[in-house]
Amino acid sequence: MRIFQFLAIFFIAIFALMGLKYGLGLSDYLIPPFSEIWVLIFKKYYLFLYPSLNTLYVAFLGHLLAIFLAVTVAFFARTGSIFANLIKTAAYNLQSYPVVAVAPIVFIFLGDGLFSRLLIATLICYFPLLLSFLGIFSEPVRDVEHFFKQTNRLDSLTQVLIRCYENLDKIITVISGSGTLAMVGTIVAEFLAATNGIGYVIRKALYQNNLAAILSSLLFIGLCSSLYLSVVEFLGAGIKKRLSG
Amino acid sequence: MRLLAKDITFKYKDSDQSIFENFTLSINGPGFISIFGFSGCGKSTLAKILSRELFPRVGEVYFESIKKILLSYNTERLPGWYSVETHIRSVIEKEREGELKWLLKEFGLEDVIKKRFSKLSMGQKNRVNLLRYLLQDFDCLILDEVLANVDEPSRNHILSLIKKRYPEKLFIYISHNVEEVCIFSKEIVVFPRGIRLKTLKKMKGLDFNGERFPERELLKKKVIEAIGLASIMPQ
Repeated sequence: MRIFQFLAIFFIAIFALMGLKYGLGLSDYLIPPFSEIWVLIFKKYYLFLYPSLNTLYVAFLGHLLAIFLAVTVAFFARTGSIFANLIKTAAYNLQSYPVVAVAPIVFIFLGDGLFSRLLIATLICYFPLLLSFLGIFSEPVRDVEHFFKQTNRLDSLTQVLIRCYENLDKIITVISGSGTLAMVGTIVAEFLAATNGIGYVIRKALYQNNLAAILSSLLFIGLCSSLYLSVVEFLGAGIKKRLSG
Repeated sequence: MRLLAKDITFKYKDSDQSIFENFTLSINGPGFISIFGFSGCGKSTLAKILSRELFPRVGEVYFESIKKILLSYNTERLPGWYSVETHIRSVIEKEREGELKWLLKEFGLEDVIKKRFSKLSMGQKNRVNLLRYLLQDFDCLILDEVLANVDEPSRNHILSLIKKRYPEKLFIYISHNVEEVCIFSKEIVVFPRGIRLKTLKKMKGLDFNGERFPERELLKKKVIEAIGLASIMPQ
């Protein structure tokens, strides 16, 4: 459904662009003809599909890493200890700093390979995830936890499980939302300095002033993002259904 | 067995007025003692103080022959990711298996135990919650409106059952239902309307033990007495 919605919006935008081009009599240099875009999308799709899949792969790894890090840090930071408060304060302050601005430093130190892209993708979706998990893990669910507390059975794992289950919808939404951010982070990294991925294709197209290639890239980015988010949402709904009985 | 709240002064952080001021209350067990009063008078706050979930600014709660005190209330829920049966079996000792079966039968829960808690009716939820508390080790159990959503005949059956089955325990039963507290309680602690409470009135209940239901006239007298005490505005 998400993919069809995206395709509908994308082609409406393309037709609007064509309307503008032919309505105002703009040159092919400024806005390429539809046939050129058509050829790139359907005949030379491999120029965009494989880099998009490469980007999706890095975004997926970055997303997984960010979820793991956010859950781990939030788990230790959920208590009211000094250490926990220190982590919370650091997280709140750091998240206000734009990761994109730090990205060039990452490329200077780590080069333009996979690791830099992965790191930037992870950092971009890590902070929203961390703040959400911190909120969820720190908020007691009194009506469920009370019994365990009273009977001295409330260990850390039970507490976190209860809080996760009670906020499952929120967690699924946050993970899906941060999936888009992981894609954005990877593309930004590729656009800045990497030599791989769809961001790199866009950068090259920009230097050549090739709008048709940029539009084709956007289509494949959208398809990959929609596919990824659909899979995440589908998995989330499946987990929820299974847990709720 | 005795529970003594001595010289308690308590107010919530976000409130200007104290609920209790130099408040003292003594409850002697074992048996079934009720706390009765209109909504918002401080019954649940007192329950939390007695169970040491809330700590007063001044004063102390003392226990004699009470090692373990538990508090249960009616909006409690079980974890939703497994069935009622799995949860209950995970929180009881092996040797309580027989008691579990007996309670399930008496509480009318045998058919619902395989379900998730969220799939139960409100009354079933109340009964399941009470059941798991009864299967714990405790000397005193505070029941804060735990059967609020259970129908009257089942409620009466459950209360009679608890009194018979656990005569050595102290139950502090908090309820709005004046008839119910008058019928089942050995003693009724009545909360008057108002704030800055110092002491509470006490009256004898009819302590129905499931053998001879109290006479209607006697019950009516007790109900009027309890409502009268609860309606007093303290100075």
